[in-house]
Amino acid sequence: MSEFDAIVVGAGPAGSSAAIKMASQGLKVLLVERGEPPGSKNVSGGILWGKDLDAILPDWEKTAPLERYVERKVTSFLTKDSEISIDFKTKKFEQTKTGYSVLRTKFDQYLAKRASQAGAMVVSGITVDGLAIKDGRVIGVINEGDTITGDCVILAEGPNPRVAMAAGLRSKPEDTDVAIGVKQVYKLSEAAINERFNLRQNSGFAGEYVLSYLENDIFAGGFLYTNKDTISMGVVINIETLRRDGRTHSYDIMEQFVQHPFISRLVEGGTLQEYSAHFVYEGGYESLAKPYGEGYMLVGDTAGFSFSNGMILQGMNYAISSGIMAGETVIEAKKDNDFSEKSLSRYMDRLEKSPAILDKKNFAGMNKVVWSSLVHRAVPEMLESSLGMMLYENGEPKKHLTDIMMKSISSTELTKKDLIMQGYRLMRRM
Amino acid sequence: MAVEIIVMVKQVPDSQEVVIDPVTMNLNRSMTRNVTNRADENALEAALSIKDKIGANVTVISMGPPQAETTMIECLARGADRAILVSDRFFGGADTYPTGLTLAATISKIGKYDIIIAGEESSDSSTGHVGPGVAEFLDIDQITYASNVDYEDGYVIGERELEDGTEVVKVPTPVLVTVLLNSNDPRRQTLRRKIDAIRKGFEVWNIEKVGLPPEWVGVRGSPTIVRRMRSIKEKERAGKKYDLTNLGELVKELYEKKVLKMEEE
Repeated sequence: MSEFDAIVVGAGPAGSSAAIKMASQGLKVLLVERGEPPGSKNVSGGILWGKDLDAILPDWEKTAPLERYVERKVTSFLTKDSEISIDFKTKKFEQTKTGYSVLRTKFDQYLAKRASQAGAMVVSGITVDGLAIKDGRVIGVINEGDTITGDCVILAEGPNPRVAMAAGLRSKPEDTDVAIGVKQVYKLSEAAINERFNLRQNSGFAGEYVLSYLENDIFAGGFLYTNKDTISMGVVINIETLRRDGRTHSYDIMEQFVQHPFISRLVEGGTLQEYSAHFVYEGGYESLAKPYGEGYMLVGDTAGFSFSNGMILQGMNYAISSGIMAGETVIEAKKDNDFSEKSLSRYMDRLEKSPAILDKKNFAGMNKVVWSSLVHRAVPEMLESSLGMMLYENGEPKKHLTDIMMKSISSTELTKKDLIMQGYRLMRRM
Repeated sequence: MAVEIIVMVKQVPDSQEVVIDPVTMNLNRSMTRNVTNRADENALEAALSIKDKIGANVTVISMGPPQAETTMIECLARGADRAILVSDRFFGGADTYPTGLTLAATISKIGKYDIIIAGEESSDSSTGHVGPGVAEFLDIDQITYASNVDYEDGYVIGERELEDGTEVVKVPTPVLVTVLLNSNDPRRQTLRRKIDAIRKGFEVWNIEKVGLPPEWVGVRGSPTIVRRMRSIKEKERAGKKYDLTNLGELVKELYEKKVLKMEEE
């Protein structure tokens, strides 16, 4: 007889969602978090697409600490001198918002509190040392030599899952599957943010950038999101190219992003409030771990559920949905009192019908295309030179668009053949 | 009979995050994370090491608002046997005098005690009054600013770091000891203990239970009057960056601003 029906390791969106789901059905749940309070160790860019929360917290839009809803979405290429953007503003989602900027220290604390109110025992400030395994079955967690037993253990440790890796339930991520995220939060007045980003009281800006000005062939993306009276911004750096260069530091890349002429004026006068760094899991379908086994399940980043295609970068939504699905699976397993691998495979059945897996499957190989010289160098350079010729008057006779494009292509390092090949691949993957 | 140790702790705003409200000049505690005063963690560790050695009972007491709950659970999770939070709106706004009185009254109500241990001072007010105050109200001996505490057959042996050496004092119980910040390495909380602590809970004592008249405690019982608070403005940095390959320019500028002086020949 186990002390708990389920033990959840990690109180981020995945772990807390699983705990809320299970505890609200009357299960005995222990949620263990190493940060004190929950959220203090967690980092993400900060846009929550929270529709999945409807299933466990119907009132979340009224009660959660949400900063601003996403009204304006920008995807940009930044070159040394220019910014080329798609700037999409819409009133369409004014009623059904779903996308919000959040600050994780507040938001994760809220979710953990809701788990506690639902009846879960939330223990923060404690690090789980490892899993208790008996006859090939996970039977609980170990801390300071004590074993706490649970019929099922849900690992929601984030992208660097120490416990899961030590138990061999997940392999150490390859360089190609992770990126380094560096983030800063700047304090500005609400009025200044509204004015600079053309926003109203609750509406917000979410920008994602390709940093094509970086030297030494390093690939990195940037993000900038508005909160009520702060701005969350950061960079996501491809580890392979950073390692190959070996001289540039991640904080140099962060600094260069903050100093870019069209970014620095957005945060000018702001005071730096927070500085953090974290892994970002970007592995594709082919590197997903098996997310369940005898007495355990993996959720959120620990299972590898995240998505990035250069235009969008998401994780919290998959964390929440996978947490809920794992919770549902435990509720069923409890009814049959069967926590075997076979019983928990129902988690996989659920996942396979959900975006957590489908998005990865449908966009397999995306990673290679996103982190390519086409996206990070050739396209931005080409756009910069052709738009410069098309949109600015320089006293010379005007040229046809095709001539301008051809001239721009020849100014990039790629051959025409490369460009067509890679371009085709990109279109196909997207 | 087991030795009875009482540890006095306080929950304080995390000193790294403290913000002063520019209008009222008070500490804005709503913005900051609350933690256990770090010197009090050293006090608890000193008590637990004595417990490891001779098997004492360790009771933690704290005066504070209901949110000090996390500190009480944390102390139990580190190894305390019992935790009492002395909490009532009447105790609010107390300076160090009624705080010492309230804690002394609480300890008298607990009854038997051999050793009382507290941190040297709290990080949010840094007076160092409360520990010695409690010893005076209880009329017992005290050892202040101890870097090490030990117990042997009815005596507490305290080491005190002085300017010209270490003083070792041996005092018969009951005795109150205040310990230095960082004088030991507090043990971690364990999951097992924390689960048990959350299940078992801690005691909350109100003013009736402590047994003091309302006019003796809290803001009414406090003789201190704060006349004025002044915040110190941080000097803003110019944020200017220098090219390290061109040090001459930097040296020249520092010289012109009289930061650097030419050495007299």
